[in-house]
Amino acid sequence: MNATSSPDAGALPQKAPDGNPASSEQDLPASPDASTLPQKAPVLSCHRLSVRFGARQALSEISLDVPEHRIVSVIGQTGSGKTSLLRAFNRTNEMAPGARTSGAARYRGIDLYGRGVDPVAVRRRIGMVFQRATPFPRSVFDNVAFGPRVGGFKGDLHELCEEALAAAGLWEDVAGELDVPALALSAGQQQQLCIARTLAVKPDVLLMDEPTASLDPAATSRIESLVHSLKSDYAIVVATHDLQQAARLSDMTAFLEEGRLVEYSTTATMFTNPLTRRAEEYVTGRAK
Amino acid sequence: MTPAAQRSRLAAGRRRFDLLGLASRLAAGVVVGSAAALLGFLAWRFVQLGLGGAPQGPGSAGGWEAIGAAAAGTAWLVVLTGALALPAGIGTALYLEEYVRPKTRAASALQAALANLCGAPSVIYGVAGLAFLVHGLSLDRTLATGALVLAALALPPVVASTTEALRMVPDDLRTAAFGLGATRWQVVRHQVLPAAAPGIATATCAALARAAGAAAPLLVVGAASMATFAPSGPASPLHSLPTQAFAWAARPQTTFAAQAAGAALALLAILLGIHLAALLFRRRWRRSIPPAQALRATPALREARR
Repeated sequence: MNATSSPDAGALPQKAPDGNPASSEQDLPASPDASTLPQKAPVLSCHRLSVRFGARQALSEISLDVPEHRIVSVIGQTGSGKTSLLRAFNRTNEMAPGARTSGAARYRGIDLYGRGVDPVAVRRRIGMVFQRATPFPRSVFDNVAFGPRVGGFKGDLHELCEEALAAAGLWEDVAGELDVPALALSAGQQQQLCIARTLAVKPDVLLMDEPTASLDPAATSRIESLVHSLKSDYAIVVATHDLQQAARLSDMTAFLEEGRLVEYSTTATMFTNPLTRRAEEYVTGRAK
Repeated sequence: MTPAAQRSRLAAGRRRFDLLGLASRLAAGVVVGSAAALLGFLAWRFVQLGLGGAPQGPGSAGGWEAIGAAAAGTAWLVVLTGALALPAGIGTALYLEEYVRPKTRAASALQAALANLCGAPSVIYGVAGLAFLVHGLSLDRTLATGALVLAALALPPVVASTTEALRMVPDDLRTAAFGLGATRWQVVRHQVLPAAAPGIATATCAALARAAGAAAPLLVVGAASMATFAPSGPASPLHSLPTQAFAWAARPQTTFAAQAAGAALALLAILLGIHLAALLFRRRWRRSIPPAQALRATPALREARR
């Protein structure tokens, strides 16, 4: 993304879509009114977003906004559409056979599915961490360096790598041993590595699909505090089936059921005084 | 179920397993035994009959030079066939498997057709090659023409086995790479191909070995039956070890039977070389990707993972 690397970690996120003319071909088309958008404009938003996979309707007319510097958690049962919603935001749904997306998904006002929008550029802006940690069968360094390398990064790769690993809380563990195979790390460290790998691309938004689903409690709490610390730099959407995690971690919570958005409110409201009966039944564990 | 009944069921399971183990050992013994017997017989016949009666020296129809000339022909054929069939086959498989997404019916049909062709008798390629290359395009009966026919023979198995190797690469790897903003070519080049490389190498070498040993298509196209000089390049007359072995075996003199056995042994040596090359490639490739165990012993990380 950035043509040069910056030594200070605070420079990781890149806020304005038109802020970096040096890599214009990689960028999304700049929105003409990007500078006139109100300060509190949502980073991500969708309006009547529907996703189908063949005959199966995965999402039906979802509308919600993800504000800057907020953690939004998406809760709901398995198959409720959490993953499809996240994937819709970085255009990875379309790689599945028979996927069809309708409605609007916007990133800082830009239609992600608009004409001329390159999905590769979308994925560089809107990073995604998947449910299962899938490190590439290479060294730790090669894993973190993959995104910047394919993005044509020209600066100091080692510095960027260190920065990303530090931001993911893994630098202490692997410092000096960047050439060890990523698959030799523990499960928690592999997930941290996947987060570091995503941060190294310097995205603006982080989508995390049940990032702690396969981790033990210690690793889970490490990832959670990491996600919390990343909030100051990113807008984060976390899909989770762990209600306590959603309550601990997020500012806003969206409850999905069978592909429909049942309720989207502040986490405090969702877990203390939900507005809908279905949400109340779900968060209190009485959902059938 | 009573404990006794459970025990007897378990015992029956063990017995069945043992029977299967015995049968598989027997089968392996038969295979290894017949291979050893065949090899031993060839070597014995070669030594027993000897090349003594064959006219020796360059330009003669027998002796070591003739076997060497045919071996050189086969080596040329293997190199040329590989140069034609591997890029075309691997490229086709990559395109059909990685680029045509979502997969179209035409792509699936093409893959199925190519998979079907894998089992086609090799003589079919000879007949088609004779009609199209020799009669249609008026090509001479050279090593290059032979290589074109063998490349057509090797292409379906190369495509089919490369496709299989690509399908073995977990989709998670592709999704992760796409998620980091890689283009399709970058995903294929940096993640999919390296992960599939050992499988592709094994399969393509098997296809090349099959092409190297094929006599029928070359005989149909018209291999020289008594070429006596080592080929100097792709434009040299078409001849190879299998066709030469066939020609020698068809002659009544015992010395030519020894020649045929010698050619067969030389062909086996070349096939061994091809498989060794695949083996070496796989080992080197694995070494370039560090094994997961390498780290388990390093103290700093053990400390970190405490």
